[in-house]
Amino acid sequence: MNKQRSKDYRQRVDQALATPKLQDALHQFGDAFLISREKAFAGHDFEALRGNISAMKTEVRENHDELLQQFIDNAKAAGTIIYQAKTAADANRYITDLAKKKGAKLAVKSKSMVSEETHLSAALEKAGIQALETDLGEWIVQLAGQRPSHMVMPAIHMFKEEIADLFSKETGQQEPAEIEHLVEVARNQLRQSYLDADIGITGANIAVAETGGIALITNEGNARLASTMPKVHVALVGIEKLVPTLEDAARIIQVLPKNATGQLLTSYVTWIRGAVPCAGEDKEFHIVLLDNGRSALAESPQCRDALNCIRCGACANVCPVYQSVGGHVFGHVYIGAIGIILTAFYHGLDNAAELVKACIGCRSCVAVCPSNIDLEEIILHLREKVGDDEGIGAGKALVFRKVMQNRKLFHTMIKAASFLQKPVTRGERTIRHLPLFFSPLTEWRTLPAVADRALRDSFSQKSQKIDKPRYRVALFGGCANDFLYPELGLDLIEVMNALDVEVYYPLEQNCCGIPAIYSGEKETAVELAKQNIKAMLADNPDYVLTTCPTCAMALKHNFVEHLKDNPAWAERAEQLSKITIDAASFILNQLAGAELFADLAKSEKITYHDSCHLKRGVGVWQEPRHLIEKSGHELVEMEHADRCCGFGGSYSLTSHPDISKKILQDKVADIQASGATCVAMDCPGCMMQIRGGLEKSDVPIRAQHTIELLAEALRNK
Amino acid sequence: MPRAQLIDQFSEAAINVGAEVISVDSISAAADYIFAKIEGSLLVPSFSSGARFKLKSALKKAGVSTEVDNFRAVAEAAEGGITGVNFAIADTGTLVLESTAEDIRLATTLPPKQFALLDPGKIVADGMEAVKPLRQMHQRDSRNYIAYVTGPSRTADIERVLTIGVHGPKELFILLVPGLSDDFLEM
Ligand code: SF4
Repeated sequence: MNKQRSKDYRQRVDQALATPKLQDALHQFGDAFLISREKAFAGHDFEALRGNISAMKTEVRENHDELLQQFIDNAKAAGTIIYQAKTAADANRYITDLAKKKGAKLAVKSKSMVSEETHLSAALEKAGIQALETDLGEWIVQLAGQRPSHMVMPAIHMFKEEIADLFSKETGQQEPAEIEHLVEVARNQLRQSYLDADIGITGANIAVAETGGIALITNEGNARLASTMPKVHVALVGIEKLVPTLEDAARIIQVLPKNATGQLLTSYVTWIRGAVPCAGEDKEFHIVLLDNGRSALAESPQCRDALNCIRCGACANVCPVYQSVGGHVFGHVYIGAIGIILTAFYHGLDNAAELVKACIGCRSCVAVCPSNIDLEEIILHLREKVGDDEGIGAGKALVFRKVMQNRKLFHTMIKAASFLQKPVTRGERTIRHLPLFFSPLTEWRTLPAVADRALRDSFSQKSQKIDKPRYRVALFGGCANDFLYPELGLDLIEVMNALDVEVYYPLEQNCCGIPAIYSGEKETAVELAKQNIKAMLADNPDYVLTTCPTCAMALKHNFVEHLKDNPAWAERAEQLSKITIDAASFILNQLAGAELFADLAKSEKITYHDSCHLKRGVGVWQEPRHLIEKSGHELVEMEHADRCCGFGGSYSLTSHPDISKKILQDKVADIQASGATCVAMDCPGCMMQIRGGLEKSDVPIRAQHTIELLAEALRNK
Repeated sequence: MPRAQLIDQFSEAAINVGAEVISVDSISAAADYIFAKIEGSLLVPSFSSGARFKLKSALKKAGVSTEVDNFRAVAEAAEGGITGVNFAIADTGTLVLESTAEDIRLATTLPPKQFALLDPGKIVADGMEAVKPLRQMHQRDSRNYIAYVTGPSRTADIERVLTIGVHGPKELFILLVPGLSDDFLEM
């Protein structure tokens, strides 16, 4: 079953990757979205706005029962009929029964993701009631017999020619593939149905406890018609849509359109409370409040922030995986990052099992989420759950538990790999399951060889002559710096010594554990956290430096999280977190050392690639740029400087090399277009990926770590 | 914010989303403007500022062919609809229409042209400031259908290309009429 599921999923990935037209459209959309979004938020403090929403939604979750009761009481007082549906089937049954009781033949629907979640249309059709989608995108998708590929733009995967064909079948005449014309066709085709329909079905963006009313945030005007014309109106509403007051609703309305489509406000915001007049009588207004996994989600401390989602869809728009394969692959009913999480709770972990592995971990979604949800962290937690349920694969589990947790064995094996790779071609690896080092030969990217001498073995031989060091710092090398790029560590010593800082290398340090977390193997990650805390704090360093932002994130953030409930370790984890810093920031902020490098470099045109975990993991992007410019280089910005390079550790090596390749191609194209002769970055993982991509496509641009560039500059002295 | 600035901000935002904003000095001038804009019939529901200023007869006098009742039957064929505005929101160019009376809804959803009479004295700065009158409406009536209208109806569902006028009005004309009403709870 799992095998078949994986096979089907792979096939969908391959198919999507073979559709460049879709990728182009989604890339363009992503670019245009970011520009209009920025414009829409001009003069607003996004961080403050999302802080408010997140705090409000969290408060709602904590007082959910009372607020829900308040909503229900107020709604009923206004003549609304309330039904609380535990499951999707309950909701569908209630609505189909109602339709049957009314003798309904036609229901007009306006866009509602919740009705997609419950597959309401299928249930109505089965009962002999036509359910007509009236939102343009939804109607297109319905005519095509598909499901929406985006929560806000359901038909974003389709092109006007396909749509013209669908519409031609409907009207019985050849409709030209012109967008304005097609919109007019939809207007005319659907118009009569509002008048004919017995029931109008809508969703709701917000349910206001204070009033017992709902708010619909829309553009097309179909929801207004669907809630006005038919005698019966049913609103299908997820119980997480609740807010306490009208002010809270206004806060969501202020942010949602800006973050969804870059509009200041949608054409319509419709506040509906109670049984309003309808053709000389009172309308029959039903609100179906759907749980369907939401209470279970609220019970999960690691995942429940996902209930704060206001469904803006932005997490998909900016996602490099979504842009590469689209929402039909990277989603179930709900799509993108939030889709992975909601699928797990609303449609079952099995339906989410492939999706949780498809996240590359770049955190671009986290940066734009208006509800401040740490989507990546929740996805990683779910990956761990899938790992627990299904096993992460016997080979992998063995490697993580038996090998990585045993540092000596792990490092011996890496060295053995270095030995074994000798007689074979560059890039070939023999032990395939270890993170980073051992993967199938790829035709799209060269891989570095494991170094003859690891950093840990060369370190003590490098003499450090500093009379009175300002600081004694420990270097956390991380696997890539240690075993693939030891020269980077040696360069760091040079740079630090020039700034009167002594560096030492605690030999007991092990892998930071992120590869284990990304593979759903938390047990190993926690064990590694303890080993590393012990190793790094042993000699009381003034600071712990990193050259890899993924490691920095682990030391600063993940260790603390893993051990916060462990009294023996929590404090030490905090302490390590406090003194850990990436090398570039250390030079600039702690040492005020930029001056030392002033104009030493042989000036080169350099573009800077923001590593995901540096920019969005630890919030650093200006420091390295400043140092590079200061040292005399010309800095030119590439397009999408902070878009993921597609590495993602084992993501690119074993789990999703095909998607990784696509994302890398985008990055290489952006680097080339910048006109730079060198691309700088602060992450050995990105170096491995980007160097490999540049080499493989014979692009004569070098890829260097900022620290390497600074060391180069010093040598010109 | 001074009133003139609010009006400017409102007008600019409304124009940015595709509405037309026209200043007139009286109801009869508004009626003349509307007459120039439509050939077909205009739905004219009842609302208090309209009644006070005898909107229906002004329109007739200007030569507009009006429909004043039985909207469910005639709305489909009408070219336009006209209402007052409870108040407006400056930063987004939004009209707030208390639309609980069904005729208000029919007049503003079905015909392709939407006309709105706004007293420029009734503009709040933003959506947060709009909450106060919004709450008062909720307190006054036990059932509500309140619409925020920002520009004409739109979609970007085909290839993300912004297209105006899908299911709702294709054109929105906002007529600024001073002295019409100073009550935010009244249309
Ligand atoms: S998770 Fe955040 S970014 Fe994604 S749809 Fe929900 S609110 Fe928007």
